[in-house]
Amino acid sequence: MKQDYFSANNIKHIDYKDVDILKKFLNPNGKIMNHKRTGVTSKNQRSLALAVKNARFLGLLPFVAK
Amino acid sequence: MENNIEGVETNTRIYEVGYLLLSSISLEDMPVVYGNLKDLIVSLGGEIISDEMPKTIPLAYTMTKVIQNIRNKFDTAYFGWVKFEMSPDKVLELKKKLDLDVNFLRFLILKTIRENTIAAKRFVHKDSRRKTTSSKKEGENETVLPIDKEEIDKEIDAMVAA
Repeated sequence: MKQDYFSANNIKHIDYKDVDILKKFLNPNGKIMNHKRTGVTSKNQRSLALAVKNARFLGLLPFVAK
Repeated sequence: MENNIEGVETNTRIYEVGYLLLSSISLEDMPVVYGNLKDLIVSLGGEIISDEMPKTIPLAYTMTKVIQNIRNKFDTAYFGWVKFEMSPDKVLELKKKLDLDVNFLRFLILKTIRENTIAAKRFVHKDSRRKTTSSKKEGENETVLPIDKEEIDKEIDAMVAA
């Protein structure tokens, strides 16, 4: 099993402005990856999803990638 | 839902406003709008912790805003953020004021933590680690090379002696 990215890199707060990190967890269509694919803990997966959604609202990430 | 660490004072909380300013604002006027936002936060009893100057970014999708009954489309905007400490009831006032501000394309008020949440610096560390490993490899090569030269010298000496 892949290790949790956020605990491995000692990231305690997932920020919506860290687009480079968030992009790692999007598929080519811009959808949030399944937690089975990301290997992120449930708690971090929830905050990751929230961060992606906040970033989408502010136009930092796409809702749908072409 | 966000992790909130309560402020030092009992009735304050750490918030962050991320915002997009209209790209129709000129570069010279942009610092004025940015200053006005900070003044507004301070006037509502907020204490600014950290912030970033708005920068032009390409938006991931086209946004629209109706200004004077005309629907305007925007592909770029100035993105900036301010982190501050404020009492929860004052934040509602801040939201109402920002709602009326014509310079804002969008904004988002979030509960956050006092510590710096951007992990970009860690990436630099990671890259530097990679660089150090690569430099180590180069160093290894360098250390390998002199040994080779010595061996070659010895071989040449042996050849000359022969």
